[in-house]
Amino acid sequence: MRDIADRMRLVRVLAAARPLPLALLTAALLIQSMIPAATAAALAFLVGELGAAAGHGTADLFAIAITPLGAFAAVLVLGHLAEAAVAPLEQLAAARIDGRHRTEVARLVTSSDTIAALEDPRTQILIRQALADRSRGYDRTPADGALAQLRWAAGLVGAVAACAVLASFSWWLVPLVLLPAALNRVIRTRDNLKLIGFWREATEGELHADVWRNAAVSPAEGKDVRVFGFAEWMVNRMQEHIHEANRGLWRHIDRMLRLSWRHALIVAAGLVPAYVAVAMSAADGRATAAVATAVLTAGWSVFLVLGPSNDMYDIVSAIRVLRATDELRAALAERSPAVRGTLPPPDSPGPAPLVRFEKVSFGYPAAGRTVLRDLDLEIRPGELLAIVGLNGAGKSTLIKLLAGLYRPDSGRITVDGVDLADIDPALWREKLSIVFQDFVRYQLSARDNVALGQASLPADQSLIDAAAASAGLAEVLDRLPDGWDTPLSRSRSGGVDLSGGQWQQVVLARALYAVRRGARLLVLDEPTAHLDVRTEFEVFDRLAANRGETSVVLISHRLSTVRQADRIVLLDGGRIVESGAHDELMALGGRYAEMFAIQAERFRRGHDDRIEEVVRP
Amino acid sequence: MRRYLSLWAEFFLLSWRRRPLLTAAALAAIAGDVLALAGCALALRAAVDAIVAGDTPGAVTAGAVAAVAYAAYLVLRDLSGLLRSTVVDRVGRLDLHPEVYRDIAGLDGIEHLERSDFLDRVMLVRASPGRLVASLWNAIMTVANVAKLVVTMLLLGTVSPWLLLLLLFAAVPVWFDHRGQRVVRRTELDTAEDLRLEQHLANLAVGAASGKEIRVAGAGPELVRRQAEAWRRATERRVRAHAIAAAWRFAGWLVFVAGFCGGLAFVAYLTAQGSGTVGDLMLAVTVAATLRQTVHSTVASTTETAGSGRLIEPYLWLRDYVAAQRAAASGAVEPPRALRQGIVLENVTYSYPGTNRPALRDISVTLPAGAVVAIVGEYGSGKTTLVKLLAKLYRQDAGRILVDGVDLAELSTTGWRARMSAAFQDFGRFHTTFAETVGLGDLPHLTDRARIERAVREADAQELVARLPDGLDTRLGAELGGVELSEGQWQRTALARASMRDDALLFVLDEPTASLDAPSEQAIFERYMARARTLSRATGAVTVIVSHRFSTVTGADLILVLHRGRLVEAGTHDELMALGGRYAELYGIQAAAYAEEPIS
Repeated sequence: MRDIADRMRLVRVLAAARPLPLALLTAALLIQSMIPAATAAALAFLVGELGAAAGHGTADLFAIAITPLGAFAAVLVLGHLAEAAVAPLEQLAAARIDGRHRTEVARLVTSSDTIAALEDPRTQILIRQALADRSRGYDRTPADGALAQLRWAAGLVGAVAACAVLASFSWWLVPLVLLPAALNRVIRTRDNLKLIGFWREATEGELHADVWRNAAVSPAEGKDVRVFGFAEWMVNRMQEHIHEANRGLWRHIDRMLRLSWRHALIVAAGLVPAYVAVAMSAADGRATAAVATAVLTAGWSVFLVLGPSNDMYDIVSAIRVLRATDELRAALAERSPAVRGTLPPPDSPGPAPLVRFEKVSFGYPAAGRTVLRDLDLEIRPGELLAIVGLNGAGKSTLIKLLAGLYRPDSGRITVDGVDLADIDPALWREKLSIVFQDFVRYQLSARDNVALGQASLPADQSLIDAAAASAGLAEVLDRLPDGWDTPLSRSRSGGVDLSGGQWQQVVLARALYAVRRGARLLVLDEPTAHLDVRTEFEVFDRLAANRGETSVVLISHRLSTVRQADRIVLLDGGRIVESGAHDELMALGGRYAEMFAIQAERFRRGHDDRIEEVVRP
Repeated sequence: MRRYLSLWAEFFLLSWRRRPLLTAAALAAIAGDVLALAGCALALRAAVDAIVAGDTPGAVTAGAVAAVAYAAYLVLRDLSGLLRSTVVDRVGRLDLHPEVYRDIAGLDGIEHLERSDFLDRVMLVRASPGRLVASLWNAIMTVANVAKLVVTMLLLGTVSPWLLLLLLFAAVPVWFDHRGQRVVRRTELDTAEDLRLEQHLANLAVGAASGKEIRVAGAGPELVRRQAEAWRRATERRVRAHAIAAAWRFAGWLVFVAGFCGGLAFVAYLTAQGSGTVGDLMLAVTVAATLRQTVHSTVASTTETAGSGRLIEPYLWLRDYVAAQRAAASGAVEPPRALRQGIVLENVTYSYPGTNRPALRDISVTLPAGAVVAIVGEYGSGKTTLVKLLAKLYRQDAGRILVDGVDLAELSTTGWRARMSAAFQDFGRFHTTFAETVGLGDLPHLTDRARIERAVREADAQELVARLPDGLDTRLGAELGGVELSEGQWQRTALARASMRDDALLFVLDEPTASLDAPSEQAIFERYMARARTLSRATGAVTVIVSHRFSTVTGADLILVLHRGRLVEAGTHDELMALGGRYAELYGIQAAAYAEEPIS
């Protein structure tokens, strides 16, 4: 039953191609598949007319032949028209079907509010299956399957038509030819599906080779490959994986090749009796030469239409893609919160919201480790709050909770007293602007890269310019060949690659654009790791000057930048362990003071080193 | 065309040498296929003749032979298909695949991975070496189909030599089809960028890392819209190209059908004139109907073969490019055992291909043997470019780089690189075991646990390794069921890898600690300074540290300040501070941040 449901699903998928192209394609495929039968019939017509005329002398023969010849020509022209039309129509249908499918998957994934499911590797596997990357060669898209099914159905119609021609001689010819032809198809399809099983195994095994294949064409990996000189090693490793992955597949193919005599036997069993019978009848005069011609032509066209094809593979693979899409939908639904907040964020009394973490605990399900433990924290309206802590202390996790990308395991986060869980996440995020450590590098224009900081409102060039000015992006822009319109990737024509530092400035501009668009809480997660000194200094100067009444949360382990904050909190062991202004924390002489001392020491030590160097022999 | 032929000859020899049995079987199946077709045609003629003559035994025999010939034809056709595909698969994966990747990965430079027009072609070739081998078999199939065509023509010739003219008509669709395919080919190349963009946007939309920002910015719908738009742009053009190709194809067929039916009318006319029989006409119809089939497959295989230029052109380009690069890389001098003088840059200028602003302009400086050299400067000032020139990843447009007096171009690239080590800003993330991703930094010691553990300690990564489920044997990268590392953790793998080699003459650290926290950065810097000194004592190695954090470079023996591709200041920390120039200013800004009283 599930098979039938899946097959019907593939039919429904076709709707995306829209009626007119679909109707034309169906017609073209039907015509194409009926051509063998029609040719047989036209041929029989011609031979019949000529045979009938033969008895009355040859004088009128030419005139008599013209009509059946015309019919024959018409069949051919129609057949070729259909055949030529199939390619662009299939392209068009596939473009629409797959285009809709791909955007649907992307929409499905982007519309989940939390990212709990998204960060689960199993979800990522489902996404990859659902997105079916044709460039991999073995993946099939929904369009491939839907169109293969259409071709397959048209082929059946063609077989019926060919059988009808056979039946013009005798009804029993139909099962005589059809049964071996069907048996042949069943065996071949089974062999082919087994083949596909091995093929999948092989391609999955080759993922191990892909690691090195991708490394071979990536500029980043490429530098290491060259400097450390392991290109040859890498190629050999690829080949080992390929050998290993394909062993089963190639063994199966060898077996299929050895057993191919079976197919010859089946086809012969279907054709020999039919051909002998019709030849005998016609020679005896019990059947006409026209009927004999028709049977001889149509007989083997049954085997042609029911021959092996890749259609079944396309169909099965496409069904797998559709199922993966369903599972993806389910996985996303399962991991998203049962109740989605609907309230708008409360109107803050002040310029920015008061956000409180109240006894918040959180751990990633996969890691099984608690990252935050009964954490209490206040982000006060308009303050510049710095969060510091060692790598892995949970700083980034805290931000994800603040953005509603994860829900706390226990405790709650409130915005001006309202539980964040009750607030519409989309509306809350309009109040937020976050620069993540692994920010997105859009291969789009510089303008888009800034404007996508707040994408739910139309881009506003004057605000973009203002944000760029605040972020000190002007110098970067000056160097771009097409200014704002330059794509920020060398893989785009006319595009350029930016350095890490340049990217960070773009992203700062992106964040400040969101602020100008109405964000009231700006979060910067390690914003200056790639910035040089002057820019870092300027950025903070600018930030302080431009933030207006927006609250700023700054995550950093660069304590020199942190000291300007109104308040610094130190995150350690999943809790806030120290909190206060720079001077207060230094006076406290705790962990913060210790960390600051280490960094400051390096500057002093720099000079000490220098003195040592002078006396170096 | 000659280049294609010699390429195919090369592929054929490769198949023949490596997979003789399968290659022979595939050829035999293709030949049998041609013969079976002639058998079908002849048996069918005999059957029809016998039927018309009322010769029952003859008709029965001929009918049976025709049936067996058809059976053989059908099975041989499938068999030759399977044989061809598996030969293509095995030769492609086992024999051509390594060659292609040796070319791509073995090139000295990396321009072919950085320029989009080059990368497009590289990506086409690397997508499937099998399809290159397939183009050979398509060509063979074209020949086989032409042979089939000749056999069919011979059969037709027995009816009337005039029917041979049909071949001319049969050639027209082939030619027209070729023209149509050219349009398709061009369009596919033109639309590759949009499809790449679509893929990029789709990946962002569904990615776990990008998911955070996209949600906060509310960029999901906009991304999906742009993704759909890029898809539509590319596919609309492709559909149009296919429609044009279809029009060409249909026009060609019309010509053929006109000739075909004209030929049949001619035979009917001959028959009417009494110079032929009804049997002849029927034979002509039957055989010419096979001609239609044969031309059909000839067109198909020709189309395929003509389309193979899509892959062959980029492949030939790659081979020419590789050959040119290898010819240009003439250096064979082995680097010295230890550096005595150092590395000298003389008027080095470099511009990225396709740009006219030099990334480096007229750089002249000596990096003394044993020195720790820091390169500082704002982004885009050419720091990384300079490092890449030292690694021979790029070649300067003008000027020279001398290593102990020997031009770097004269040095064997492999030999020179074997004596350097580097951690780049955009380092490689190799999804294999932790031990291997580190061990690759010194191939001969790939399985040397002690050495790897030492390198892990150098990069201060032992704690990270201890936390991994299988320690050093933990697989990295989620897509193969391994562990996904954070940015900082990946950076440590790169640092550890760079610590594997003991005898480096050049040691490069390009922004090595950007993603690490203060105590980690501190610990790592102390270790790497010590390492630089050890290397310097052992081999006179030059250590180059690229950084924009001035605290990390004050201890350097020589600090180079780059600004917009020019070397504006060079000297020790004290000298540059005394100079009161750009360096002093920038240093002052950051040092102030650590002063007892912040300067504002």
